Amino acid sequence: MSRVAGRTDWAEEEDEDSLTLPQQQIIKNKDGTETIITYSIREDGKKVKTTRRIKKTVNKIVVNPRVAERKHWEKFGQEKGKPLGPQTDTVSVAENIVFRPVAGWKANTEEKSQEDQKKADALKSAKIKCRICQGDHFTTKCPFKDTMGESEVTPADMPDDAPQAGAAGTGSGSYVPPHLRGRGAGAGEKMGGKFERDDLATLRVTNVSEFAEEQDLRDMFSRYGHVTRVFLAKDRETGRAKGFAFVSYADRSDAAKACEKMDGFGYGHLILRVEFAKKPGN
Amino acid sequence: MRPILLSGHERALTQVKYNPDGDIIFSVSKDHVVCAWYSHNGERLGTYHGHQGALWTVDVDPTSTLLATGGADNTMRLWEVQTGKLLKTWDFPTSIKRVEFSADGRQLLGVTEKRSGHLGTICVYEINPDPEAKQSDEHVLRIVCEDSKPTVAGFSYLAHYIISGHEDGSVSQFDAKSGELLYNTQVHEPDALITDLQWSQDRTYFITASKDKTAKISAADSIEVLKTYVADTPLNSAAITPVKDYVILGGGQAAMDVTTTSARQGKFEARFYHKIFCEEIGRVRGHFGPLNYVAVHPQGTGYCSGGEDGYVRVHHFDKGYFDFMYEVEREKAQEQANL
Repeated sequence: MSRVAGRTDWAEEEDEDSLTLPQQQIIKNKDGTETIITYSIREDGKKVKTTRRIKKTVNKIVVNPRVAERKHWEKFGQEKGKPLGPQTDTVSVAENIVFRPVAGWKANTEEKSQEDQKKADALKSAKIKCRICQGDHFTTKCPFKDTMGESEVTPADMPDDAPQAGAAGTGSGSYVPPHLRGRGAGAGEKMGGKFERDDLATLRVTNVSEFAEEQDLRDMFSRYGHVTRVFLAKDRETGRAKGFAFVSYADRSDAAKACEKMDGFGYGHLILRVEFAKKPGN
Repeated sequence: MRPILLSGHERALTQVKYNPDGDIIFSVSKDHVVCAWYSHNGERLGTYHGHQGALWTVDVDPTSTLLATGGADNTMRLWEVQTGKLLKTWDFPTSIKRVEFSADGRQLLGVTEKRSGHLGTICVYEINPDPEAKQSDEHVLRIVCEDSKPTVAGFSYLAHYIISGHEDGSVSQFDAKSGELLYNTQVHEPDALITDLQWSQDRTYFITASKDKTAKISAADSIEVLKTYVADTPLNSAAITPVKDYVILGGGQAAMDVTTTSARQGKFEARFYHKIFCEEIGRVRGHFGPLNYVAVHPQGTGYCSGGEDGYVRVHHFDKGYFDFMYEVEREKAQEQANL
């Protein structure tokens, strides 16, 4: 780098870039492993730091004398003067490959894909469920449409029906989907009904660390009573927590206790904020 | 198994080879340099410098003292394995596509390319196994192939025959003493070039790989096709594994022939077939380009493949590989044990 400062030659410049790369670093760890830090420049000109942690083991094998002698040959050519053992610039270890020979290999994989196909088909058809007879067709196509119940909640009747359904429903005046009208709030088997009841004893936990796990939350909150459900919102792509969660208790008094105790509790590197979940409608 | 990646070459690999003890791997690529590696850990022993063009082929003698290479600079060269010293250069009018030592290491053959008025030939040289000795300039045998150019060739057991594979998919058998053509037969499809020819351990039969997407095992003395392995991609190489009765095929669509080159689309996998039942039993992925050569460890403990992507991948088989048996094989083994 004894180059004259004013000289700007693009060809030389590139060279200088590579010169400024830090040396490869090898750190010996206490547990016998080594950490190798190397720097390189990618095609797009960005400097890349690669950190590899490796464990070296010595395997002793008995070989014939010819082979043993060849192990001690001096290196030559481009390798001349290089130390013993594999060099990191020419040798690396790839990912583990599971290789297990099987008879009829091809048929095997094809069968698998067929099974997958079947499963996918089953899933598809499962989504279509008649509300009248529970068959795998649309409700409107149901052969028992005229003979079996639900006649008063067909979509065509909705406008007249709504106030009546409200009275028969939760009594809160909120929107009740047509298929739930007339069932009352207590019908527990249905998904909607369950949420309705849970909302009373559900806490909203915010400011949750992104490394949190559902099980951790369950452990913490079950100190105050029986936890029926923990929902931790996670990012679909990264799999990390989004920072909020819902915890439902079987009993509202337990929920109230937990809300009081856990609000301001330090978890991870953050302080939790706990409050009763607001109903989405309100 | 965890493959070892050898990244000493800057261009596509053309051939990789184990020495007879299986402790050293030699690799040649289009980047003019020959590399020698220890097979157990991938450490590079050294490099051999001198060639002025792409290298097509490499072979090592049975005692691992001499190394022969051939390339596009129209030379065939002999090296001392231990020091990387160039011992001898033979000049030819065209490039050398294949070199191979006889089983005793006393003879070396070179297959020359057909180009600009020169016919494809197979030249045989006497080799003095002493690295200090002077090697002869004159070939002892020169076979000129007038019909179709030879692409691969090798010595059969006891150097009785020279077997060559040709551009037109045929296989020829020559007398290794007189050079007389004894037999020629169409083994592969007429328009499909034979890309590789590798021997069984005792050199009584061999496997040929071809661009017609098949590999075939033929007997050395009758050139009768014994087994056929059908793949779904053009093949560049085929090897017979000792210990277990498998064959390994390598190939893949060449980059210029495919429009979508995802690793899966290109079928860049080493395919394992059962040698006797001719049925595919598994694949090993890893390369990002076609496999140009597969070589098997002479003791059957592993294999390595050289790819168009410039990497050599060295694999050491795990237990599952050795344990696998067909039902009939298992029954047979059981019977043997009961006796």
